[in-house]
Amino acid sequence: MDDLIRHVVTGALTGLLYALIAMSFVIIYRAARVFNFAQGEILMVGAFLVWTFMSALDWPWWIAVPAALAVSMLLGLVIERVVLRPLVGEELFAFVMVTIGLLIFIRGVVLVAWGPEVRFFPAVLPVEAIRIGSLVIDRALVIGGGLTLVLAAIASWFFNKTQAGLAMSAVAEDHQTAQSLGISVKKSIAIAWGISGLLSTIAAIVFLNGKGMTFLASDVGMAALPVALLAGLESIGGVVAGGLIVGVAIGVAAHFLDPIFDGGVAAIFPFVIMVVILLVRPTGLFGWKTIERI
Amino acid sequence: MTLPAGVHFETYAQDRALVRTPGQWAWFVLMMVVLVALPLTGSGRVIGSAVVILITLVAVVGLQLNSGYAGQINMGQSAFMGVGAYTCAALSAKLDMPLWITLPAGGVCAALFGAIFGLAALRIKGFYLALTTIAAQYIFGFLMLKLPKEWFGRSEGLRMEPASLFGFVFDTDARIYYLALAVALVMVTGAWGLMRSRTGRAFVAVRDNDNAAEVIGIDVFRYKTLAFFIGAFYAGIAGVLWAYYVRYVQVDQFTLWLSIWYVGMLIVGGMGSILGAIIGTIVIRLFQELITVAGPWVIDVWPSLGGQFVFAAMNMLLGGLIMLFVIFEPRGLVHRWNIMKESYRIWPFPH
Repeated sequence: MDDLIRHVVTGALTGLLYALIAMSFVIIYRAARVFNFAQGEILMVGAFLVWTFMSALDWPWWIAVPAALAVSMLLGLVIERVVLRPLVGEELFAFVMVTIGLLIFIRGVVLVAWGPEVRFFPAVLPVEAIRIGSLVIDRALVIGGGLTLVLAAIASWFFNKTQAGLAMSAVAEDHQTAQSLGISVKKSIAIAWGISGLLSTIAAIVFLNGKGMTFLASDVGMAALPVALLAGLESIGGVVAGGLIVGVAIGVAAHFLDPIFDGGVAAIFPFVIMVVILLVRPTGLFGWKTIERI
Repeated sequence: MTLPAGVHFETYAQDRALVRTPGQWAWFVLMMVVLVALPLTGSGRVIGSAVVILITLVAVVGLQLNSGYAGQINMGQSAFMGVGAYTCAALSAKLDMPLWITLPAGGVCAALFGAIFGLAALRIKGFYLALTTIAAQYIFGFLMLKLPKEWFGRSEGLRMEPASLFGFVFDTDARIYYLALAVALVMVTGAWGLMRSRTGRAFVAVRDNDNAAEVIGIDVFRYKTLAFFIGAFYAGIAGVLWAYYVRYVQVDQFTLWLSIWYVGMLIVGGMGSILGAIIGTIVIRLFQELITVAGPWVIDVWPSLGGQFVFAAMNMLLGGLIMLFVIFEPRGLVHRWNIMKESYRIWPFPH
């Protein structure tokens, strides 16, 4: 029983972490209708930036973390300007391919810049575990979960209440209409990429806090896909709910299925959920419109 | 009486033939001679790369039928290839089946696995379909590692004997090369034929506009599933060849990364053209060879780059190429080639 509770609690917290990563997918998708497959690699660049500033250059965290956030935001803006903007108006396949090209390219650059060695990610957040009775929980995940809720609330408020956010939501609904109403589509998309880069680095800090990391850490980007899909790709609030549902489902599945398959279920289950979502309800729980189907 | 200049065919069949003029026949025969004579160079490196290119070619042509012609984005091609390779290895190592059973069996098993994920294409398109095929990749890896050890050997993989056909054993690289060459020729010719048939035209119609295709009487569901079935069949055949070439099948040989490389080859070569698939495969594979050869030399000159430089450089090259091609030449190298041919024909007039 204790084991089940542990799996559910850890699952829910991991789900919230996935929700944070999924949010960086969703913000870009809302603005640009682009599904950024390279999100995991951007997260990895953020992680290496934090490592460089804190461990290699030995800056204090209150300089290093904002610096990393600023650089990753800049990275988002540069990618948008150089890679995505020339493709505005192209068909969907071009966007799928260009983000995949980006994924491969960034991985190569990271390997040249930082190499394949295992690095020890600095502990930005406290590392000692939280103990409740026999339950042991990673403190970084708890803080990260709280952070996800706060950031989701801010993003929700931003997109639904502020002038700039509403303009971006209009862009999300229809580029041409938004443009004809005098909203700058290009600016909105650029802002979205910037925010997304920033969120990726925050997610990297929560995910890797005090652990060893290599360039393979980017795989977490793929694991966060089901959360974005379940939420429906357009809904910021839905991402939190989606994260909790997927996280708990993974926890429960790991508890019951791990003995059968001797481990590894938690790594594959997100993709099983993803296929089920895609087949049963491709718009997700909180998506905007019905996906065109035939 | 003299005929005006030009090529005149008297029957429809002549006009539609793949190889039409004496010049084309000459080039065709020359190419065949070169392909058949290639192992005579005797260099292990050349034959080895040629075998890998031929195997990759089969998989990429399948992907071309699926993604380029039928428009169904597929990022699980290497998983489908893995299904073929594992089927072949299991049949060969456990049940001692000969090549003429394992080859089609590997293809069909991969095709069925692919068609299951193709069923998703009935309901979803675009990004969503790409995600489903990525899921296929992960689910394949999980299954191979978790199914009973007696079946697929889990993380240890499967070892197998060389292929044999009616007593002839394909145990050297040169012999495998001829096997791969024969299979690749059949598969590529088949792809060419298929795309000139009703099926090929239906694929293109579904790709261009599936609503319109449905309206003019094309069974869209059937052709989407069929596209995945055929594409994965090609992958399965490539997997069988791979299994016989390496004689050891393990799940790490069939990664999402490899699938992405295959899609990259399509982009560079050109979507929607068999010739594009061939050009893309050869160009990218030769680039890889070049980097593998030049990499150690570069590291000798600048030792600070370190050993991971080769792998990293390959990634930067492929990623950069894909992005440049999508942005500047979305129709790929084959389009450039066609422009060149056309301007040669009408020279000295501008194109």
